[in-house]
Amino acid sequence: MSFLAPLFLMGAAAIAAPILFHLIRRTTREVVAFPSLRFLQASPPRITRRSRLENLVLLALRCLALALVALAFARPYLQRPTPPANPDGTASRTLVLIDTSASMRRSGVWAEAVGKAAAQVRNAGPNDQVSIVAFDRAPRTVLSFGQWIETPANGRVAVALDALGKLSPSWFATALGPALVRAADEINEGDTPPGSMRRRIVLVSDMQEGARLDPLQSFEWPRNVEVLTDPVRPSRAGNAGLQWLPDPPDADRAAEPTVRVRVVNSPDARGERFKVAWAAQDAGPFLTTPLDVYVPPGQSRVVTLGSPTNSPGADRIVLTGDDETFDNVVHVLPPQPVEVRVAYIGADAQGEAREPLFFLRRALPESRRQTAKVVAFAPASAPSAEAVGAARLVVVTAAVPDATADALRAAAEKGGTVVFAPGNAAAGPTLSRLVGRAGLGLSEERPPSHALLAALDFRHPLLAPFNDPRFSDFTRIHWWRYRRVSGELPPTAKVVARFDTGDPAWIDFPMGRGRVVFLASSWSVADSQFALSSKFIPWLFGLLDLAGAGLEVAAHPRVGDALALPEGRTASLAVRQPDGVVVQVGPEVARWEVTMPGTYRVGDAVRVGVNMDPAEGRTAPLPPDRLESVGVRMDAGVSSQAAEVTRPKGVPPAAEAEGRQKWWRWLIVGALAVLVLESLVAGIQARRRPSASDPTSASASPSEPNPTPVAA
Amino acid sequence: MNPAAIDARALMAIRSLELRARAVVEGFWTGIHRSPYHGFSVEFTEYRQYAPGDDPRHIDWRVVARSDRTYIKKFEDETNLRCHLVLDRSRSMEFGTAGHTKAAYAATFAATLALFLQQQGDAVGLLSFDDVVREFIPARNRPGHLSHLLQAIEQPVPGRATNLGVAIERAAHLLRQRGMVVLISDFLAPVPELERPLSHLAALGHDIAAVQFLDPAELTLSFKQAANFVDLESGGSLHVDPDAARAGYQQRLREHQESLRALFGRVGATWHPLATNAPLGPVLQDFVQARQRRGRASARRAQPASPR
Repeated sequence: MSFLAPLFLMGAAAIAAPILFHLIRRTTREVVAFPSLRFLQASPPRITRRSRLENLVLLALRCLALALVALAFARPYLQRPTPPANPDGTASRTLVLIDTSASMRRSGVWAEAVGKAAAQVRNAGPNDQVSIVAFDRAPRTVLSFGQWIETPANGRVAVALDALGKLSPSWFATALGPALVRAADEINEGDTPPGSMRRRIVLVSDMQEGARLDPLQSFEWPRNVEVLTDPVRPSRAGNAGLQWLPDPPDADRAAEPTVRVRVVNSPDARGERFKVAWAAQDAGPFLTTPLDVYVPPGQSRVVTLGSPTNSPGADRIVLTGDDETFDNVVHVLPPQPVEVRVAYIGADAQGEAREPLFFLRRALPESRRQTAKVVAFAPASAPSAEAVGAARLVVVTAAVPDATADALRAAAEKGGTVVFAPGNAAAGPTLSRLVGRAGLGLSEERPPSHALLAALDFRHPLLAPFNDPRFSDFTRIHWWRYRRVSGELPPTAKVVARFDTGDPAWIDFPMGRGRVVFLASSWSVADSQFALSSKFIPWLFGLLDLAGAGLEVAAHPRVGDALALPEGRTASLAVRQPDGVVVQVGPEVARWEVTMPGTYRVGDAVRVGVNMDPAEGRTAPLPPDRLESVGVRMDAGVSSQAAEVTRPKGVPPAAEAEGRQKWWRWLIVGALAVLVLESLVAGIQARRRPSASDPTSASASPSEPNPTPVAA
Repeated sequence: MNPAAIDARALMAIRSLELRARAVVEGFWTGIHRSPYHGFSVEFTEYRQYAPGDDPRHIDWRVVARSDRTYIKKFEDETNLRCHLVLDRSRSMEFGTAGHTKAAYAATFAATLALFLQQQGDAVGLLSFDDVVREFIPARNRPGHLSHLLQAIEQPVPGRATNLGVAIERAAHLLRQRGMVVLISDFLAPVPELERPLSHLAALGHDIAAVQFLDPAELTLSFKQAANFVDLESGGSLHVDPDAARAGYQQRLREHQESLRALFGRVGATWHPLATNAPLGPVLQDFVQARQRRGRASARRAQPASPR
């Protein structure tokens, strides 16, 4: 038996008190009224032999109660010994599953993990089989059972230690579930009969909360495989981390561009005051004035940082105030205004305030987030293929030569978006060429008063901004005239909207990777009220989104993702990694996997900030029964070790064991019971005493206890 | 059974003070061998049947000759004896372990004495005190006076500390006519404080009798267990182990009693130390006999050829 607070056992010395009180004649409580104290002299309490003999039972009970209380305060518990690896002496098949995820970069963790794995290897007997599997985002075998068996017995440990020595923590996230599934499969592979060896997976990991367990949910864990967790803890508890957050969907496009990051503090953290600011590599701690953030343990705060206007080199946001630095940097490039190029081909008069170009220019104002550039071309002076290719969106409002129409169709097929909104019916052939379908014609329609949009397909991306009852009312827009399409539409064409006359108003022609959108009536004042309505600008931005015009937030890849490299390369492309290594990537490679956080430079112009998986920053220990809850069979010795994982900082294993056993409660109950018994015994004795010697008896003799004064 | 020898506990169980006093006096009249004071009377009052202990001199032989029965001839006393009972009502008198307090016992004694003297035709008065004089009833002999007296004796008095000296001094001022003064107290006061007032009282020509009542437990300190002893008057407290303190206590009490005896001897007073567990009849008898002896002695000294 051990004690959590052995000093409290000194409280048992209090047993001396009742013994002393029993030895001292206890009459001080009794009060006798006496006529005069003139002839009396005070006498000190004295020890008598008689009183000790009288109350032996009471004395024993009182001492017992005190002893029980002292014992309870000392918090006794039984320490269960850790079971040996091979309790029955049979050979075992052990798979050491070692975690190499980014969270293992914390101080002291990796060295301890390697030490524990090496200890498992060294403890293996001559008949035991050992395999080593490392895992982060995916498991990989470092030393297979086959290699172990093939290696001569005296060299196995050296080989295994050598393999362990080559491992190092990566920047990937922890996929514990897939690793356990793979380990369970691997340990049961081979020709060893299932019952002949004890099969054990020793999991050497920091058992962090952010570990992925999902495949285990649907995996039936083999009955003959047990998992022994051997958790490693960092020398410093607690961790704070940074996570990059994408812009919310309702972000104001015209507002100042900002970057939002979340500061997460783990529940076992000690610090709660941090600083967040922009920084650059080799440029001191901060480039901008740091922002003070107060995050209590177990909570998180979202911080919004403005663009570092005076610090062009800034490429990361740094968190300081946390000891574990592996997740304290978010690599994010300051938001740059997006240039939106729109090509316009039409016969508008210069400066005419009723024509489509006028409205188009005003609908795309310049802001800090985007710079819209509308380039207008006359129908005759066709733009070059480069100009068309560079434009995200091409708007055509007049009939164009066939060559131009072919070029536009080619651009659409490559992924461009062409909006064809002819101002008159003469552009019918242009439509045929644009969509590559002969026989399409246009005829001018002029409804008696006006036409309204009737059947709108709000599921189409073009109308996505209006897919809400608050915004879906198009009946206030009057269409004075439109062009009716004659001829058979291609089967891929989709009518997005129709007039109340039944004629198609907007038709979407998918063309290869892009599209041509035909509008039966343009937004010129002569055709409709569309340009003057509140629907026009949202519609135009929806069109730009559809065209992939760069208003969406730039992609932020994570470590392990593959970057899409530019297509159609003829020469190799230089990819510069954050660690300075430049890799020449051949033209045949379309995607490049990023393996570390930092700013990758692809070619000369493109810079991409790559960040760690935010789940890796959740370093709080996994609940001990989490693995069991998904069906993993835990080794018998796991309970204390699993408890080790979740034990809050500063709680030693003894406190954990004591907290589970809680013997002190029974000791306190016992002490209370003894006290009740003591009261009963004392009560019985007190009742006996006066009945044996009635103080009012006339023949009170000096040998009896005190006579009681009558009226005093 | 002789009523005068009624056990003190049984006597004190009678609630009425007057009945208690009558019980004692009745027993006393019939049980005493030599009736006191009869010699002082000159005027015949009544016949009474002879009881053993009566003086055969007072038997009326003519009645015996006539009726063959023995009767005693009683005489009315015409002396002007004034007796004042000075009764201590302080808190120290509220102590008692014999089934009754010293105060109750003293009150019964006073009532009995008053009844006895009243029946004798003497005038009886009362002065009760604690630290000051509480009540003063001058000595009278008329119908109704006795009940008034008994009422005053029976009345509970919220006593405080004793100041016997002041009471005696006050009595000396109040009692201008010579008479008998019976001091009834436990006399647990410093003896030197009593000397001057007592001398003063004696100098006035009073016949002083001091009756001291002490509880048996007070006399022997018969307590068994150590305890905090609380002074009834001062409220002071003392932890006392009786076994250890008994010898010293008895020694000091004895010295105190000796001082009292010497004091009363010096002032010519009689002193009657009595325990409260003794039957009251014999106590009264002893008291009266002692007075009688003293009276005879003084009478012999004053008038050797008195016809009484």
